[in-house]
Amino acid sequence: MSALRTTKLGRLQGTFFIAVAVGLLALPLVADNYILYVMARLFVYVLVALGLNLLTGYAGQVSLGHAAFFAIGAYTAAVLAESGQWSFVPCVLAAAVVSAGVGYLLGLPCLRLSGLYLAMATLGFTLIVQEMLLQLAVITHGSEGMSVRPASILGLTFDSDHRKYYLLLVVTVGMLLFARNLVRGRTGRAFLAIRENERAAEAMGVNLAQYKTIAFAVSALYTGLAGALSAFLVGFLDPQEFSFFLSIQFITIIILGGLASLLGSVLGAGFLIILPEMLAGLDVWQALVYGAIMVLTIIFMPFGLSGAIRRYGHRWFGLGVEPIVPRRLGH
Amino acid sequence: MAEILTSQVVSGLATGCVYALIALGFVLIFKATDVVNFAQGEFVMVSGFISYTLLVWYGLPYWVVLFATIVLSGFMGVGLERLVVRPIMDAPIFSIVIATIGASTVLRSSAGIIYGYDVLPLPTIFSKDPIRLGILSFTAMDAGVIGSSLAIMLALYLFFKLTKTGMAMRATAQSQTAARLMGVSITRIFSLTWAISAAVGGVAGVLIAPIIYLDPNLGLIGVKAFAGAILGGFGSIPGAIVGGMLLGVLENLSGYFFNAGIKQVSTYILLILVLVVRPSGLFGAASVRKV
Repeated sequence: MSALRTTKLGRLQGTFFIAVAVGLLALPLVADNYILYVMARLFVYVLVALGLNLLTGYAGQVSLGHAAFFAIGAYTAAVLAESGQWSFVPCVLAAAVVSAGVGYLLGLPCLRLSGLYLAMATLGFTLIVQEMLLQLAVITHGSEGMSVRPASILGLTFDSDHRKYYLLLVVTVGMLLFARNLVRGRTGRAFLAIRENERAAEAMGVNLAQYKTIAFAVSALYTGLAGALSAFLVGFLDPQEFSFFLSIQFITIIILGGLASLLGSVLGAGFLIILPEMLAGLDVWQALVYGAIMVLTIIFMPFGLSGAIRRYGHRWFGLGVEPIVPRRLGH
Repeated sequence: MAEILTSQVVSGLATGCVYALIALGFVLIFKATDVVNFAQGEFVMVSGFISYTLLVWYGLPYWVVLFATIVLSGFMGVGLERLVVRPIMDAPIFSIVIATIGASTVLRSSAGIIYGYDVLPLPTIFSKDPIRLGILSFTAMDAGVIGSSLAIMLALYLFFKLTKTGMAMRATAQSQTAARLMGVSITRIFSLTWAISAAVGGVAGVLIAPIIYLDPNLGLIGVKAFAGAILGGFGSIPGAIVGGMLLGVLENLSGYFFNAGIKQVSTYILLILVLVVRPSGLFGAASVRKV
């Protein structure tokens, strides 16, 4: 990629990222608490979108089970904080590890499934986990929900919107860089090979079972981490939140943002979190307008926001190369 | 004891028949156009409201309402295909799925704006009084729903088998290129497929709404029907029918043996177990991978 830095696109990208970084660091100086809270929620969704995109966008394995991983992360952190009196960092780490473990285990029976069958099996997983949250009321308090104390690291309590914003910003940027390294390395290439053609990938020495379960585990790790952070951010867990609608929302984010694109994960999360906030004044019409915008976005940008940026960046400004986007995925 | 059990099986079969009808809608569209229509459940919900409006607000007779609902649902299917799906026929399959999810959001919230979110009673001609035949115990409603569903399935079967249009649709499902070379208008077939799927969903709505409930979230029944289609093997018409019925019966039986929460989940546990053993469902052909 270093060669790109000297090109027009490379310089533009560099300038863009510096501008975004400065903007994000300086935002709390100008924005009110409400905006900071929305931004912090946005970071949570970026984390989920990154994780889901690794599994679905890169490795080609459709998942409607991510609301379950999100719930597992959130509840693991909340339960350890409440019953175990664990502090913030071990709670979040444990949540990520537990979620990744469950992701690995779910990945095993899913090895033989693909496409719609995989989507349905993982959707079933979401529904099962949500019901378990209600049934295991001894641990999860069932339909009453759970409240979560604010996070604190070495005596510094993350109770204000400013602090929560910076905490989530740091974690999200860190995980974004990790995902970037992952997809550019051996693992990322293996994921893409599996998505494009499983038999060919196998012939080139990619261990299908190993990499598919790794994809599930890493994806669940991101999502569980996001769930745990979300628990501390919101301060309350309601089992109704972790329905299959949430899974659908996650998959919508990465498709509207752009499959197999880290930028797309960020843009998609931004689009789907900020849009409802902007439409909040529409009252009963909100969901209708939201759905209509979703349909129109797909009609005009079938490859998502990042696909559109790449395509029109090339056509109108001669940036980069004409994107080649896979037509049919996981099918 | 045996009577309670048989009545559970029969009423499960009735719900299962409705799942099967909706599942048929999924599979017909998928076979013809390769699209998975996540607004299929919304066809059921909207047609429920159409018949409610005609029956309760305008007081039209039941059979007129039934006919009008089927026709209007068909038009809704064509409308959705023309407005939302056709412009992006070349897009990745995921994008089309998301577009139909967007459309279902629009339909659901429109229903909410017009009718509110309270549960409305949809009148039916079938009585809910129990009928007994030996150890069999069921209601006229169960029998009516099962009979109507089977009649619709038979009608569809005859349509596909005997009419020229039906043959054109089967040809399109097999190979779009070959069908086009034989002079079949693919775009017409696509619209017709969506119309039939939506109309079948419309019948499902008229049948199921009096049994469960009528509110803007009725479309969620589409998820169960989808599960039924997957259980049977997505893309297989007998699979959709058997899968839908099986799901309805299992769901009712587990509701009888366990609590309501487990009832919702047990079917999905079973579904995952079936998929682990048969990754393409009960009737699905094992996919052949070309390198």
